[in-house]
Amino acid sequence: MIRMFGVSKIYRNGIKALSDINFHIKKGEFVFIVGPSGAGKSTLIKLIFREELPSSGQVIVAGRNVARLRRKDLPFFRRKIGVVFQDFRLLPDKTVFENVSFAMEVVEASKSEIRRRVPEVLELVGLRGKEKSMPSELSGGEQQRVSLARAIVNNPEIVVADEPTGNLDPETSWDIIKLLQQINLRGTTVVVATHESSIVNMLRKRVIAIEKGRIVRDQQKGVYNYES
Amino acid sequence: MRVRTFGYFFRQAVVSILRNSLMSFASVSSVAAVLIILGMVLLLGLNVDYIASDIESQVEITAYLADGLDVKQVSEIGQKLIQVKGIKEVKFVSKDEALKEFKKQLGDQGDLLEGIKEDNPLPDFYRIKTINPSDISEVAAELDNIEGIVDIVYGKEVVDKLFKLTGWTRLIGLATITIFAFVSIFIISNTIRLTVFARRKEIGIMKYIGATEWFIRWPFLIEGMLLGLIGALISVSVINISYYYLTKTVAQSLPVIKLIPFDSLLYKITVGFMAIGALLGALGSGISIRRFVKV
Ligand SMILES: Nc1ncnc2c1ncn2[C@@H]1O[C@H](COP(=O)(O)OP(=O)(O)O)[C@@H](O)[C@H]1O
Ligand SMILES: [Mg+2]
Repeated sequence: MIRMFGVSKIYRNGIKALSDINFHIKKGEFVFIVGPSGAGKSTLIKLIFREELPSSGQVIVAGRNVARLRRKDLPFFRRKIGVVFQDFRLLPDKTVFENVSFAMEVVEASKSEIRRRVPEVLELVGLRGKEKSMPSELSGGEQQRVSLARAIVNNPEIVVADEPTGNLDPETSWDIIKLLQQINLRGTTVVVATHESSIVNMLRKRVIAIEKGRIVRDQQKGVYNYES
Repeated sequence: MRVRTFGYFFRQAVVSILRNSLMSFASVSSVAAVLIILGMVLLLGLNVDYIASDIESQVEITAYLADGLDVKQVSEIGQKLIQVKGIKEVKFVSKDEALKEFKKQLGDQGDLLEGIKEDNPLPDFYRIKTINPSDISEVAAELDNIEGIVDIVYGKEVVDKLFKLTGWTRLIGLATITIFAFVSIFIISNTIRLTVFARRKEIGIMKYIGATEWFIRWPFLIEGMLLGLIGALISVSVINISYYYLTKTVAQSLPVIKLIPFDSLLYKITVGFMAIGALLGALGSGISIRRFVKV
């Protein structure tokens, strides 16, 4: 589902964020990308949904070489990927329902589809009854649930999350991770970048560790550090 | 594009216009200004053409006579005129008759001339018809040599003078329009840039949700076109109301001048100006969209 061959990324300012990255994430996998701050986790995530292009090497996602995607195909490529960020990125002047239905409007879903699908997804992330709330009225964990709901409402093949629990307390973080796991159990490939060891260690999923832009470890049923 | 999607775009555009009220106002005003000037130049030009063709169609030469000629001198001039080649008909109009004619032309306002009956400033003249309208210039040149004729006026000459006068007005008008058009495109593009900036977060989210480039662009394009349309609407109202009163006033106080009737212009100008307004708006937002909204 996601493959990288000899990928490196040098930003325009000359910073080498990634070098010689190779991995293959299969359909339905749950993978943690771990590493200290500045290791290149976010850059890796951005390469997956083609926010950034690799400086060299190949990035293949959902059967498409991202470097060869034509501009007009890019939106349709991105519809296969749900994205979740640390800062939630909700629209503050829209309700919970609207923040989620917005994602369906953008892909021009029909009104009846929206009416059916949005409550279903809100139910899944445990936000039933909060449809009319504004993001500012929600806790951080709830806001992240809304952003999760938005990421999966169009049934993407892949969900990528960049530090989804970075702004949350441990207990809430755990809820969000469990939700991601639940999404994964329904067949969606999930990639989570994080530098929080506790979560990684508890879940025992595949761990790809990067340091200074290089993969230092790629381990099934892994933990954050060898030491811990 | 689905109808509902268009509704969504339209709402976005309206919300942005209201939110950016100051810049929206500047955009609308600039478009209105361009179109009002365009309207003035256009109406002036059209009316000059209209009046000119009216005058040109009159294949008459008016030969004004010197003041204080006696009856004999006048009839001598008449004799000479008849002998000029190309002249079909010659008719003497005395200053009293001229005054009566003029009074008739003025219609209701004829009373204005009551006071000058005693001291009539109008000269005597001969009204001359040529056999062939196209010969009128040569015939008129011929008459120039006849003693006792002080001035010769014929349609084509008046028309030439009129065109010379309006030529400059048109040139200045068009230059002003061009400059203002660029200014309004510039203002609109800045307004749209502000909207894009205010909604950059939303645009970012739309991009990674998988919105197509045009789905993101349409609301901004509609916003620009709406600004242009509102500007056009204002200009059309101003032009229509002013022209309505202008034709009414001229018809009452200067019936000699025949302006193009109000009704026959209304429709064309309205439709044309709305189109120009929308175009200016689309150009303005197009510039900003191309630069700032990319997937
Ligand atoms: N847009 C950018 N332009 C230039 N340098 C960047 C950009 N994004 C990230 N970097 C740099 O690339 C390196 C990796 O950053 P990042 O991928 O954000 O790491 P992480 O998410 O693991 O903290 C850092 O040195 C960072 O400063
Ligand atoms: Mg990061």
